[in-house]
Amino acid sequence: MLWENMLMAFSAIRVNKMRSFLTMLGIIIGIGSVISIVSIGDTMKSVFEGLYREIGVTQAYLMIGYWVDDRRQSDFFTLDDMARIKELFGDEIAYMDSNAYASADALYGRNKVKFSFDGIDYNYPDVQKINLVHGRFLNEGDILGRRKNVVMDTVSAQNLFGEENAVGKTFRTTLYGNVDEYTVVGIYRKEISPFQAMMMGANEEGGEAYVPYTLLTWPNDYFYAVRLFAADEAQMDELYQNIKIFVAKSKGRKPEDFRMNTVQDEMGSVNGMLGGMAMAVGGIAAISLLVGGIGIMNIMLVSVTERTREIGIRKSLGARTKDIMIQFLTESAIISACGGMIGTLLGGGLVMIGGSMMGITAVIRPGVVALAVGFSAVVGLFFGIYPASKAAKKDPIEALRYE
Amino acid sequence: MKSILGGLGRKKLPDYITDNISEDLIRLEDLVKVYDTGALKVLGLKRINLTIHRGEFVAIMGQSGSGKSTLMNILGCLDRPSMGHYYLDGVDVAAMDSDELSLIRNRKIGFVFQSFNLISRTSALKNVELPMTYARKNKKLREERARQLLARVGLGKRAEHMPNELSGGQRQRVAIARALANEPPLLLADEPTGNLDTAASVEIMELFSQLHKEGTTVVVVTHEEEIAAFTERIIRFRDGEVLSDSPNVPREPRGRDSAPDAEEGIELRDT
Ligand SMILES: Nc1ncnc2c1ncn2[C@@H]1O[C@H](COP(=O)(O)OP(=O)(O)O)[C@@H](O)[C@H]1O
Ligand SMILES: [Mg+2]
Repeated sequence: MLWENMLMAFSAIRVNKMRSFLTMLGIIIGIGSVISIVSIGDTMKSVFEGLYREIGVTQAYLMIGYWVDDRRQSDFFTLDDMARIKELFGDEIAYMDSNAYASADALYGRNKVKFSFDGIDYNYPDVQKINLVHGRFLNEGDILGRRKNVVMDTVSAQNLFGEENAVGKTFRTTLYGNVDEYTVVGIYRKEISPFQAMMMGANEEGGEAYVPYTLLTWPNDYFYAVRLFAADEAQMDELYQNIKIFVAKSKGRKPEDFRMNTVQDEMGSVNGMLGGMAMAVGGIAAISLLVGGIGIMNIMLVSVTERTREIGIRKSLGARTKDIMIQFLTESAIISACGGMIGTLLGGGLVMIGGSMMGITAVIRPGVVALAVGFSAVVGLFFGIYPASKAAKKDPIEALRYE
Repeated sequence: MKSILGGLGRKKLPDYITDNISEDLIRLEDLVKVYDTGALKVLGLKRINLTIHRGEFVAIMGQSGSGKSTLMNILGCLDRPSMGHYYLDGVDVAAMDSDELSLIRNRKIGFVFQSFNLISRTSALKNVELPMTYARKNKKLREERARQLLARVGLGKRAEHMPNELSGGQRQRVAIARALANEPPLLLADEPTGNLDTAASVEIMELFSQLHKEGTTVVVVTHEEEIAAFTERIIRFRDGEVLSDSPNVPREPRGRDSAPDAEEGIELRDT
């Protein structure tokens, strides 16, 4: 019987193709926008998650809390602090450096390129994917010996030297007031999606290079933060808490005075923000579903009047109130669900096309699709109740007389 | 009768469907129908007393406006009497609610209209299936029986046709097949030949004759003597009252060979 009703509904929709489509339009637009907004949110989430995963989800920065007013010299870090942390926590920490950056012009022949130098330890490739294409990465000797060796990416090499493979080439730059010659020992290739390039800005003119962190932090410099990578993601919260307690104690402070900025927390807040945005805009889009539902009710009322005679015939053959009610409810639910499906295809398709244009894999959750189509069917059912009950209540003889 | 109605649905049918206590299939007692059109009240039927036995073949005749349709609509449970009683198969239907009347129409009555009243854009087969659909019969059984019925009315090859692809006579035969779908004991036809030419009219009446011979009670409204001549009893109406009620020696239906437009022969054997 349900199947029979569905077939009837489909044939009724087919008979009035254009009208059915126009009726669905509200639902199509409503569901289309809900699907695309939610999917854009989900896609952004997954993109950010990907970015964070690349940065390293176990990454954290330890620093004095911005809320602490009475700052002391000892609140900052030294290489000794790092050594003590390393000693105590050992293998639980996969990687640690002084989070040191410097910016300066790099000079090669007549070329002058603005470079940013990232001070890192030799085992940085353990926690970051570095696709070395020429030469070697910085080694322990470079770090301990404070050698003026650098590793840069292909684009930076191209910008500075005019060629990709610049291993062995030297350039001059001024770090901490000293003009020195630096030697390129390795070249790596950065793989970034067009979307990442868009988000973070493509490095078209400038340059980036890894240098031993000991060059930027020596010997009794105080630095603001320590960068850490926990070895085990599952234990990182505990580890970071312990490190905080240890550092606070060694500096004569309470653990609450220190701040452990984890990538995971940041990820959570971005997700929360995206989720909130999607909810808000999705709510507005849901209003268009309401409008779509009213459109369906309107057309169903017209349809019921037009088909008064058919209703009379059906009743004369033994259709009960319930039978007619279900027939028209099925029809409005199917119209609405069809609109929902078309809307899903449109919204989802748009997000997928947009995503592929930006080089991102769009995330369209099946659960969201099912919910949207289901919800549109419910909208159809709800707004079909009044027209269907109007149809079902018709008196058979009156309905048969209707011209 | 029990055997015919058995196995129609899984649910037990109510008593007013399953009880067949009366040899008087139709009994009207002081039946009155008043049309209240606001400004004035029109008396459609004035205290009708009438009995039709199981297995009769009756013609209702009378001028236009004499109350024939009014009577048929009440007999068909499409409309309710204003006063009096209508016992269908011994059960008073005046007191029934609309869903009970639906069930009665579905199981006990086959109605044939002057204007065919097929559902448009729906194949002959689906039209014939409809009463069985509302009787909750399963699809296979429905289709099988609908095809059988269409074959019986000579339209076996037209099952998939839409109403607008059929002639008037063919449409009326589809309507008759549909009326027979649930094997009702009572077949009502309000001017079934009113929109048909003579040849098609004769065909339809021959069909009714054969159904009557198989035991169905048939009541036909007509204002043509030639049509009424097929029946065994003629009741004449005037101004909402019975003018006369007399037996009739029915005209013999022609042989099967001469039946026009009978692509497969009109075969009305019960199966
Ligand atoms: N729905 C109605 N409203 C008011 N009067 C009606 C209605 N139907 C029939 N009548 C009146 O009842 C009388 C009988 O009509 P009807 O039964 O249709 O006659 P017949 O079928 O014999 O031509 C007529 O006077 C007609 O005008
Ligand atoms: Mg009439």
